[in-house]
Amino acid sequence: MRYLALLLSVLLFGCVKAPLYHSQSYVFGTLVDISIYGETDERAATLANHVQQDLQNLHRRVHAWKPASADQLSELGQVNAAFAQGRSLTVAPDLAAMLVEAQQLSAQSDGLFNPALGHLIGTWGFQRDEFGPQAIATLAIQKWRDAKPSMADIVIEGERIRSNNSAVKLDLGGYAKGYALDRAVAYLRQQGVQHALINIGGNIIAMGQHGDHPWRVGIQHPRLPNAMASLDLPDGWAIGTSGDYQRYFMLDGQRYCHIIDPRTGYPAKHMQSVTVLVPPQAVGRAGAGVLSDVASKPLFIAGVTQSEHYAQVFAIQDYLLIDDTAAAYVSRSLAKKLHWLAKPAKLNTISQHAHP
Amino acid sequence: MLTLKSLHKQLLLGDWLVLLLAALLVCLSFLSLWQNAPAAKVQISVADKVYATYSLNQAREIHVRGPLGEAVIQIAKGKARFAKSPCSSQYCVHQGWLSKAGQVAICIPNQISLALVGEAKPYDTLNY
Amino acid sequence: MLKHFQPSLEDHRIAKLAAFAIALHMLEAVVPSPLPGVKPGIANIVTLYVMYQYGFVTAAWVSLLRVLASSLLLGQFLSPGFALSLAGAGLSLASLYAGMHLPKRWFGPVSLSVLAAVAHIAGQLLVVRFWLIPHAGVAYLVPVFAVAALFFGTINGLITAQLLKSKVP
Repeated sequence: MRYLALLLSVLLFGCVKAPLYHSQSYVFGTLVDISIYGETDERAATLANHVQQDLQNLHRRVHAWKPASADQLSELGQVNAAFAQGRSLTVAPDLAAMLVEAQQLSAQSDGLFNPALGHLIGTWGFQRDEFGPQAIATLAIQKWRDAKPSMADIVIEGERIRSNNSAVKLDLGGYAKGYALDRAVAYLRQQGVQHALINIGGNIIAMGQHGDHPWRVGIQHPRLPNAMASLDLPDGWAIGTSGDYQRYFMLDGQRYCHIIDPRTGYPAKHMQSVTVLVPPQAVGRAGAGVLSDVASKPLFIAGVTQSEHYAQVFAIQDYLLIDDTAAAYVSRSLAKKLHWLAKPAKLNTISQHAHP
Repeated sequence: MLTLKSLHKQLLLGDWLVLLLAALLVCLSFLSLWQNAPAAKVQISVADKVYATYSLNQAREIHVRGPLGEAVIQIAKGKARFAKSPCSSQYCVHQGWLSKAGQVAICIPNQISLALVGEAKPYDTLNY
Repeated sequence: MLKHFQPSLEDHRIAKLAAFAIALHMLEAVVPSPLPGVKPGIANIVTLYVMYQYGFVTAAWVSLLRVLASSLLLGQFLSPGFALSLAGAGLSLASLYAGMHLPKRWFGPVSLSVLAAVAHIAGQLLVVRFWLIPHAGVAYLVPVFAVAALFFGTINGLITAQLLKSKVP
């Protein structure tokens, strides 16, 4: 009898103590949060550590403004230097593949997702770790906007690349976190991990689930310090938010956020936040992680009226918009999946039409 | 004596309405106030390490050093916040008071984060 | 001035009813409650009954005298306990005043009793939250007290209705 009780308590203890490993670290210029379920703590720690190292490496390579070392530009920095001088250069195969993908996504979004805007982003002061309110450099903004830097200006032949427009300066800030998510998932899957949740600076991708229920994700309220809703993130799905509260400064009572509208050269100002939920993608297409990062940008810049169009472009059914008056718009499909924690006063459902 | 029959007679239509409304109010109060359990503790992390976990029931100020310098975290009345931070954006300070389980405030430049933990966490991670 | 003071019939009535309410209040104070702070509030039956029989002003006098005298007898005058009672009684009187104007055809003593009980507990919780325990966690208690208010408010209302029918004192 006593042994039975002992056995039972061991079993119970085993059940109660969920094999969840959790780590957080500041790599990739942001907070990276990795949860792994169903592996021993040691193995999970080794795997998470590897992911963090890999992210840090990637971060150094594609950093838009920090040199890799005192006398060496980052790989992306070298590309930008060559573009400015009109030279061509050879890049690593994975970087070339990233640029091809970014080029396609930029074209699909009519150039609203535009990683060639590095000069404008720098002019607005967002290419710094620490930034504050700054005077608006009207002339410089006009100059870089009128130069129309575009991903279409870049010619990629294998690993050889050049730009037809010297105003092109790459900043992968709206792409790299998503790419990193896909990369982390690929590594963990290859290592046989089945259940994990990866959060890179707010962009999240799920693998498997958390014990007997799906991973659950909270969506940050754009103006309050708490989550406004939560939802279940199924295996292979990713979620990303573009918000005017992530990187911004206030000047004369006006908010200037880090998402620049390439058509005006000024920060987009009609949205507080745009959240997209992305299903697993077919092999050979941009991954769910990349799309969770990229697809929110055109919706953020184009505004509520055109959001349905750009969601369709990326085959996204589930999205949530909070406009500058704090009115919320949720797609019918996402409305069914959301659990509101702080329901917006003005909540509209966007009816989705089946597209041709 | 109060019998079921007399009870039925004593309640007017409006009384039933009031009772119904009050019951609804009670249900609502359960739903809204017990869903997001108030957090019991705040977990402070610096870089990849959990620095400390404090109860929210005892007022105190905690001075924590990050790569940029010293941040001051204040705990009072069941809430916690960044009171001071050496970062230039001050987003962490602007987050204000946190009181519910699952709420987080992150200072990316100084690599310090606060996370409120309670009995039941409403989600595994936060999309922001 | 004092010799001109002639206690009216009204004054006597208030004194008698208040004494009765005080007795009920004291009784409740000594009977232990399973949950601290949750009490049936049977003294409210007196307030409600008086309001129906003699009007709002008399009820207000009875209620406030009850709070004052009970706190003196229990040695709680101007203590937190007194503030709780006063806030509860004050808000519940306010709700009775409002409730009085509801059409009598549809709303009986049970309605008023539930309103008063909810207002009573609201007043007390406000004092607790903003003075006694200024802690966000107080919100956690609200649903428990709300259930108690609904339950005892209904019972007290039914008792009052019964009393009004039988027309004792």
